[in-house]
Amino acid sequence: MRADRIAALVMKGALALFIAVWVMVAVIVGAGAWRFVSANGLVGPLVSSRWSPLAAHYGILAFVVGSMAVTGLALVLAAPGVLALSVTGARILRGAPQRAFIQILTLFVAVPSVVYGWWGLSVAVPLIRRLTGTAGFGPLSAGIVLAVMIVPTFSIMALQTLRQVPSSLVEGSLGLGASEDQTLWHVILPASRAGLSQGFLVAVGRALGETIAVQMVIGGQSRVLSLLKPGATLTTQLLTDLALMPARTPGHDALDFMALWLMILMAVLVWLQSRVRGMSRG
Amino acid sequence: MADRQWRGARPLKPPGQGRAAHKILAGMAVLAVLLLLSVIIPLVAQAVPALNAAFLFGRAPGSIAPEAVNTVTMVAISAAVSFPLALLAGLYLVEFARPSRWTRAFDQFTGTVLSVPSIVVGLVVVDVAVVRWHWPVSTLTGILALTLMNWPLTVALVVEALQSVPGLYRDGSWALGASRWQTVTRLILPLALPQMIEQGGMAVARLMGETAVLIYTAGVNVGPGWALGGPGESLAVHLWLLRTEGVTDLASSQAAATGVVLLGLVFLVLWGSRRLAEWLQDTA
Repeated sequence: MRADRIAALVMKGALALFIAVWVMVAVIVGAGAWRFVSANGLVGPLVSSRWSPLAAHYGILAFVVGSMAVTGLALVLAAPGVLALSVTGARILRGAPQRAFIQILTLFVAVPSVVYGWWGLSVAVPLIRRLTGTAGFGPLSAGIVLAVMIVPTFSIMALQTLRQVPSSLVEGSLGLGASEDQTLWHVILPASRAGLSQGFLVAVGRALGETIAVQMVIGGQSRVLSLLKPGATLTTQLLTDLALMPARTPGHDALDFMALWLMILMAVLVWLQSRVRGMSRG
Repeated sequence: MADRQWRGARPLKPPGQGRAAHKILAGMAVLAVLLLLSVIIPLVAQAVPALNAAFLFGRAPGSIAPEAVNTVTMVAISAAVSFPLALLAGLYLVEFARPSRWTRAFDQFTGTVLSVPSIVVGLVVVDVAVVRWHWPVSTLTGILALTLMNWPLTVALVVEALQSVPGLYRDGSWALGASRWQTVTRLILPLALPQMIEQGGMAVARLMGETAVLIYTAGVNVGPGWALGGPGESLAVHLWLLRTEGVTDLASSQAAATGVVLLGLVFLVLWGSRRLAEWLQDTA
């Protein structure tokens, strides 16, 4: 029992270290954001889209809109693929082909995002350029790249949820004379609502937080939404400006301000996920 | 089993009817898989001209051997630091702490820090390590950044693996007079280990592909040899740099080849961790 107490103490220490380090991260970002807000106000930078650090104008509206547009576009584009892949993997394939299918999807989950960025630059951007006659860089390309990137993650989660629908529900529906299509739309998908929402929120988080794949294809200019012209998101602007604005300059605090917004958005997504989990239990 | 039963019941209805949507979805799934393959196939195709021994293992400039060494060492050291720390924290949460408002709040906390975008972690590491502590932009700073990235994910996967062991096992062990520590070390850990290793493989694979967090911490250069304080460009950063700065044909085939090497390492880690997990499962 003495071993128990010593072990618990060491483990508590490890846990405390973990919490302390990450609270420090939040405090560092928060302190920079606080300096930024006390110098520039809270609302002003959020509703202005003029980003010119040299003139001390730090409007981040364009990046916020860019992040939301790219994420929304990616989800819309990914949705049909996710539905198709998850239904195929959970309800059409059986046995060995099913296992192989899931393993292939898992491999794609592990493909680094820089490789998806490479694909965007080498395949998606030239394609958009040819189709639209523009440079090809912009939120549309970024949305396409993100869509391809989140499809495996989202599909795997959706697939596991669809597989967990109790077979009594499925058999009951078929036994009552519903066709397999009707069973899919009216029984299986509604019964998987909680798990699908969970996967959706994870996909939103991954798309919103993605930096490198988006940065490679979005073009990097602060402009309020034009799908086909170069734009920027919160994360890509952080990446490009981290080199331009060294620490202890006013511009650097603006980066902390953007980073804090990203962290808050992530916290909201996680909170929503916990709500969704509650939904599935009740 | 259950699935076979309801498929067996199908002849009661006219075969082939009422499955139109399933067929359409299967067709769309084929297209989606082809789209995903269109990420890998052009990469490999473009990489072929650059994939030779001098590029992979050579010592001349232009070879990616230093980047490969940087990637593997930084990932290995960060994983070796973050896994034990996360294991201890996870064990406390699942096996020692009583479930309460605090442990639930902690779940929320881990979930949030685990989804903090990697560029935000990069920003903080630059501010603290590079600016305040005057660490060089190096493998050392890169290791710090990767450790920070990996820590929450590892805590989450340890917690999940421990929770997958049924509570009845613990009750049984305690009823036989084992202490918590004995229960954890002799019963729970061996049972949870295969899942931890498999998920840990996914975590390590993710670390290998991390780019944004490393650009300003480990840098975009390589030194003449590996050193803890030396420049620490990784494969992923190299690929990013070649593809965003270089426009020559040579650079694009080298970028693709770097991507292929990176993918090779990632898949090797996934395969290795899965085999190890299976082996442990069989011997347990």
